[in-house]
Amino acid sequence: MVNDGNRDWSSSSNGNKNGKSENVGNKRRFGRRPFIKAAGIGAAATGLAGCLGGGGEEAAVPLADRDEIRIGVLAPHPSEDPIGGSIANGAKLAAKQINDDGGLDGTELNVMVKDTAEDPQTGRERYGEFIREEDVDLTTGVFTSEVLLAILEDIAEAQTPHMTAGAATPDASAQVNENYEQYKYHFRTGPINAHHLGVNLVDFMDAKASDLGWETVAVLVEDFTWTEPVSAVLNERLEDTGVDVVMNRRYSSGTSDFNPVYNDVEDSGADAAFVAMAHTGSAAITQWAQQQRPFEFGGIHVPMQLPAYYDLVKGASAYGVTQNSATPQSEVTTPDEVDRGDATVPFAENFMAEYDSYPVYTGYIAYDAVNQFATVVEEQGDLGADPVVTGLEESSYTGTAGTIEYYGQDSDYTHDVVYAEDKVWPVFMQWQPEDPQNPQAGGTQEVIFPDNLATADYQTPPWI
Amino acid sequence: MIETILQYVIQSTIRSGLYALVAIGFTLIFGVGGVLNLAHGASIVLGAYGAYFAATQGLGIPGAVAAAVVIPAVFGAVMYLTIIRRFEHEPIMVMILTLVVSVAIEQVVLKTFGAQPVAVPQFFSGNFSLGATNVQANQAAIFVLSWALIITLFLFINYTKQGKAILATSMSAKGASLMGIKSSRINLTTWIIAGALAGVAGMALGSQLTANYHLGRNPLVLSFSIVVLGGIGSIRGSVLGAYLIGFLEVGVVEFVSSDLTGIAPLVVLVLVLLVKPEGLYGRELAE
Repeated sequence: MVNDGNRDWSSSSNGNKNGKSENVGNKRRFGRRPFIKAAGIGAAATGLAGCLGGGGEEAAVPLADRDEIRIGVLAPHPSEDPIGGSIANGAKLAAKQINDDGGLDGTELNVMVKDTAEDPQTGRERYGEFIREEDVDLTTGVFTSEVLLAILEDIAEAQTPHMTAGAATPDASAQVNENYEQYKYHFRTGPINAHHLGVNLVDFMDAKASDLGWETVAVLVEDFTWTEPVSAVLNERLEDTGVDVVMNRRYSSGTSDFNPVYNDVEDSGADAAFVAMAHTGSAAITQWAQQQRPFEFGGIHVPMQLPAYYDLVKGASAYGVTQNSATPQSEVTTPDEVDRGDATVPFAENFMAEYDSYPVYTGYIAYDAVNQFATVVEEQGDLGADPVVTGLEESSYTGTAGTIEYYGQDSDYTHDVVYAEDKVWPVFMQWQPEDPQNPQAGGTQEVIFPDNLATADYQTPPWI
Repeated sequence: MIETILQYVIQSTIRSGLYALVAIGFTLIFGVGGVLNLAHGASIVLGAYGAYFAATQGLGIPGAVAAAVVIPAVFGAVMYLTIIRRFEHEPIMVMILTLVVSVAIEQVVLKTFGAQPVAVPQFFSGNFSLGATNVQANQAAIFVLSWALIITLFLFINYTKQGKAILATSMSAKGASLMGIKSSRINLTTWIIAGALAGVAGMALGSQLTANYHLGRNPLVLSFSIVVLGGIGSIRGSVLGAYLIGFLEVGVVEFVSSDLTGIAPLVVLVLVLLVKPEGLYGRELAE
């Protein structure tokens, strides 16, 4: 990515985030704070850190000296899109609960939301505004991998921690791994990265394929950046589970008519279409249901993760299976396990009470991100970027989506959330109609895997 | 092999019927008014969401169809009376204004209904076998509806007083006005008809693919290709163009690569503009 050269905040010669903070190490918010307070903190901080000689030590930004903690949330169409709205509201709900509890050592969290419009350039502009104009201490959100990759360089230059809640591309963590000092400010709180999404699909098939009766599958993967690692894993490992892959296609990202694709799936004789879809998912599931194609349907289907999706597509998602971080009914974590805030189900209910809808997976993750950040800041007593980065690296935080820990520098996926059964281990859910005779009437998200969280057995579509 | 060809012919024929439905309203406005309506895609969106909204209100399929027809038709009338009439002799201004209105409508739909796709009700549900091909009843209904509307439009244009007035205006607005035909009334009629046709196309598209706020963008580009291929302003050319492009696109996807979805119409557009810019039927309705 090319630096457009128009950011004054990136031109500091002393490692600061901008030229406004020369006296205080690498934080620059004091141009916006009362001068006396800023000068006092700056002098104290530089003195304490002993970096008057430019020794490169991180300056302390004591929590107690702050009037507020500012969090910038980047979400696609937060007013209209449940995915973006869940990111925004998940972060807001976490902040509200913390503030209602007296804040962090008395300091309140202030959450601001900006729209990325799923567009890389728009995402860069909004991120730049957070850094230049809002002086944020943390950014979170970002649903689209292309947007995350577009702002990754800016995150490095801003030297402000960022906790991704949505985008799955492991290209981001590869950058952190390859150039740690520069990119260490990026963490992926969730979902598991796209490589692990592929591994998770394989793990699911390994455990459940025989129960589902899926002996042969047609792999259908939409051609976007986020699915490239998914395809790589499926190509390498899916047949090791004993499932016969009779068709394997990365279809065009512009596909809206699935007739030709489905004709080929039928010709292949596959028991199921095993999918990875986000942007093209609605047309795919609707046409599958309308045409009552003689194969089953499951994998990762992002739109189906939406709790309100069944009504949006008038029951077309009935019998479809998708992986999900959590559902409103799944007890991924229970209240006695969580470190701060709510466990899975209480969070979903509180979210519903506050925003009149259940959260999408991004809501759980954004909520966890803000709570984990708050926990780290409280423990460190310091808002400086380096203490926060160190704190997050050492953190083991149990929230709504599992226990969140991050891979270290020795991993290929540095600062991505750890994928493991006792850490973050997604669920697989099926939309099941409340009345099979009238599937349009309403449906529920039933967990079918892992077994300890299952709320129902898998149901084969009645037309098969 | 025969099964494959049969499947190709059936799928192409059904697809082409939908394409014709999408394009004839667009060509009608250009043929008669001489302006390009870049809000054609917005009318398609209004048709799809009108049907969706009516269905959510419990009005059933008849209510959905009525909403898909009436809302875009009223939109067409309002567009003409408030904006287009003032600038109908300035085609560039009309292009700019219709484009702006189109973007505005998309944003209104986005804010009102959200960014997630919604399911538009089908005309008919279920499937049946035709030869060795599985055909959706809804697709077949769209094909039949398309031809019913094309034939009705043809009969209306050629055999009714109002239709003949439209034809006359398209041939020469000046000549028509000398015969006492009010061109503004004729243009208003075409905008209403085009809106209604686009609305039906929107419901048809949405019932197959689900609807989202930018559902109309691809059909707008497709309309350009079809209308240019058929000959700008020619309804007969547009129908033929829709079938040529429908067969070409399904053939490319079926026999070459599904990655090339949507490219064939654009290639046709460029080639026709380079080689035969007047299209297959010239501009028979235009002066």
